[in-house]
Amino acid sequence: MKKYILRRILKSIVSIFAVVSIIIVMIYTMVPSEKVFDNDAGAKKMKGDQLTTYKLRKLEELGYLDFASRLEMCTATFGDDAKACQDGDEAMNAQAVEAFAAKGYEIKELKSGEQYAVHNYRWYELLWRFYSKLVVVDSKNAIQDPDNPDLEHKYYWGKNPYNGTPALLCSGCTYKYQMYFNGTFPFIHQNKFKLNFGTSFPTNQGVATTQVINDGQGSNKKISQTFETGLEEESALIQTSCQYKYLTDHLDEKRFTDHYATCRSFHESPSMVETSYILGLIALVIAYVMAIPLGISMAQHKDKAIDKIGIAYINLLIAVPSLAFIFFMRSIGTLFNLPDKFPQLGFKDIRSYIMPVLILALLQTPSLMMWLRRYMIDQSNADYVKFARAKGLSQREIFRKHILRNAIIPIVNGIPGSIILCISGALITESAFAVPGMGKMLPDAIKQTNNNMVITLVFIFTALSILSVLIGDLLMTVVDPRISLTEKGGE
Amino acid sequence: MTEMNQDLFQIQIADDTESEHIAAPQYSYWRSVFRKFFSSKLAIFMMILSGTVILLSIIQPMFSGYSPNVTPNINRPEMKYIRPNATYWFGTDDVGNSLFDAVWKGTGTSLFVAFVATAITTVLGVVVGMWWGFSKRVDRIMIEVYNIVSNIPVTLIAMILAYALGSGVWQIIFALSVTSWVSTAYFIRVQVMIIRDREYNLASRCLGTPTWKVITHNILPYLISVIMTSISRDVPSFISYEVFLSFIGVGLGQQYASLGRMIQQYSPYMTSTPYLFWIPVAISAIISVSLYIVGQTLADASDPRTHMI
Repeated sequence: MKKYILRRILKSIVSIFAVVSIIIVMIYTMVPSEKVFDNDAGAKKMKGDQLTTYKLRKLEELGYLDFASRLEMCTATFGDDAKACQDGDEAMNAQAVEAFAAKGYEIKELKSGEQYAVHNYRWYELLWRFYSKLVVVDSKNAIQDPDNPDLEHKYYWGKNPYNGTPALLCSGCTYKYQMYFNGTFPFIHQNKFKLNFGTSFPTNQGVATTQVINDGQGSNKKISQTFETGLEEESALIQTSCQYKYLTDHLDEKRFTDHYATCRSFHESPSMVETSYILGLIALVIAYVMAIPLGISMAQHKDKAIDKIGIAYINLLIAVPSLAFIFFMRSIGTLFNLPDKFPQLGFKDIRSYIMPVLILALLQTPSLMMWLRRYMIDQSNADYVKFARAKGLSQREIFRKHILRNAIIPIVNGIPGSIILCISGALITESAFAVPGMGKMLPDAIKQTNNNMVITLVFIFTALSILSVLIGDLLMTVVDPRISLTEKGGE
Repeated sequence: MTEMNQDLFQIQIADDTESEHIAAPQYSYWRSVFRKFFSSKLAIFMMILSGTVILLSIIQPMFSGYSPNVTPNINRPEMKYIRPNATYWFGTDDVGNSLFDAVWKGTGTSLFVAFVATAITTVLGVVVGMWWGFSKRVDRIMIEVYNIVSNIPVTLIAMILAYALGSGVWQIIFALSVTSWVSTAYFIRVQVMIIRDREYNLASRCLGTPTWKVITHNILPYLISVIMTSISRDVPSFISYEVFLSFIGVGLGQQYASLGRMIQQYSPYMTSTPYLFWIPVAISAIISVSLYIVGQTLADASDPRTHMI
């Protein structure tokens, strides 16, 4: 069994990387790179050579290509003696250009006549660049600051300033708090390993994509807290998230005794991940609470009125395009004075949540009901049921104690999937209601050509769905010991 | 008691050929399928409905010559936002075109996408699934492919593909069918594996029937109802996907009329001119529900086990 799980995990990792690799290559090679600037306000103000250079620099930053201007070509070719070349020595320039051309760069000319070199990354270079910087490990020698020679490089134990629990601190790392505990999921937090998917562009420019989806939304929330210097202040800074800051200012010195002063902030509204999670989990509970009794009573009263109505409901929900269903439900909601867009009343008002949650739950019920009914009807012809009947058990008892316990096993298989995939949010529902969650982020990122964000989300969604299938299978073996995932010998 | 009399009896001639005849009712597979299908009034109604919609979406655009790029009334405000009336059955849209023309053109595009994607998915799925179910070597490779593909939400793949490939009818069809055929193939594989080792197939193989003939004559007929079920699910789900992809803006471009695009375009008009929004939504719901029910009934009818009298 252990061997099987290990192999399964390995395979899962391979599948995640296969999918993400294909998608990276497709996005970088098939989506025209010009589209990146369609929504960029900065590019709209520029023209001519300035625009060309801006675009090339941006594309270089986004990982499409390697760009070298005349000055950079000079520096790369002549190193320390580049001054003359940069000042316009023609022979040296020509030499620099030749050197770059020999490296496989394309040499082009700006309108002003200045030459530059461009190299579009090929698919294997794209993949290498992505994976080589994917995992960032923080170490105690990460920061080398010549202006702060006294900086110690060590790990030490300290306290979480918010709840006093022990925390692993570091001096010399990028993050001060390497590991700490608090009351929010997943309770143990660490800053040592970070996934780096690049920065978001054109929206949230310069912010890491993982931070965009993990950070709170809305305005900053100030809470009263005590800083290291003993200063008590109403502040939005999250002390456990602080990173090293090279140039500290007066305000920082008032709060912190060291250089760790670049911190994230508390926000009024939950992050995208949390939003999707709240909606998804409530919807999931409602869906199971509704679907399981309905599915059972459909199976109990097979071919009676309740069964027929149930089947009609299932067929209708499967056949109607989900978008049409969502809009229909949404307009019913407006009859009851419920908002048709989430941001109308915002996070604080419970009415914002009712319709999205209800729709998410209803969309999950048909398949649950259908399968539960199917399994229960299949089971009800089994020999052990006939035997139970022969023993004189009542129909109710047979259904509750015998059939349901067997029929629920395949349903159990799907539960982890549903829970984990709540994070990914419901793409359609969130888009229709403009809920600021992960589900809406993907279409938004696509519309804005925010490639790094698209790749981040694809990675997260793929990893989550593969993981949930694995956990589902393992859970099934726990619920039903008869099931063995490993192949038995023989034959 | 009457006297036994010769007149009371009739001479019967023993006929060997007559006695060989078995008095079972005549059975024709397809006739039974149709009899079963037409016994459902709902299915007949839905078939007429979907037939009407399909014909309208083919024929109407031929007469109207509608194209989203031709906007002769764009500068005539009096032509815009006319409510549905006798002349403009579905009213006019934001550029003064008749919504009736636009809707049928759009339905045509959406149906074309759904049907072609279903055809590709089904043909590829059945052919590969058959092979997959029979060959151990293919099974080893395909099961790995399936493990990768099946774990990822179809919506995600379709979205990313549509995004990367650009907007266009064939791109959408490719994006929709490129991964979905794998699950159809897997479905067929399981069915083939169940039927493959039944006694009649073993007997057939022992008698020296070539594999090819076993597949086409012994197994394929068995799968007709299964394939019908999968088709009847695929068509509505592809319509739904097309609508969704166009709605979020990665589907068909501005130059195409499609139901999804119309829903996306008119969703801000929901309160001011609701007909613009609700008519495409209603049409998309009508075609998928009617096609689904027709497909399901046909699938039931094509299962020989339901043909008992």
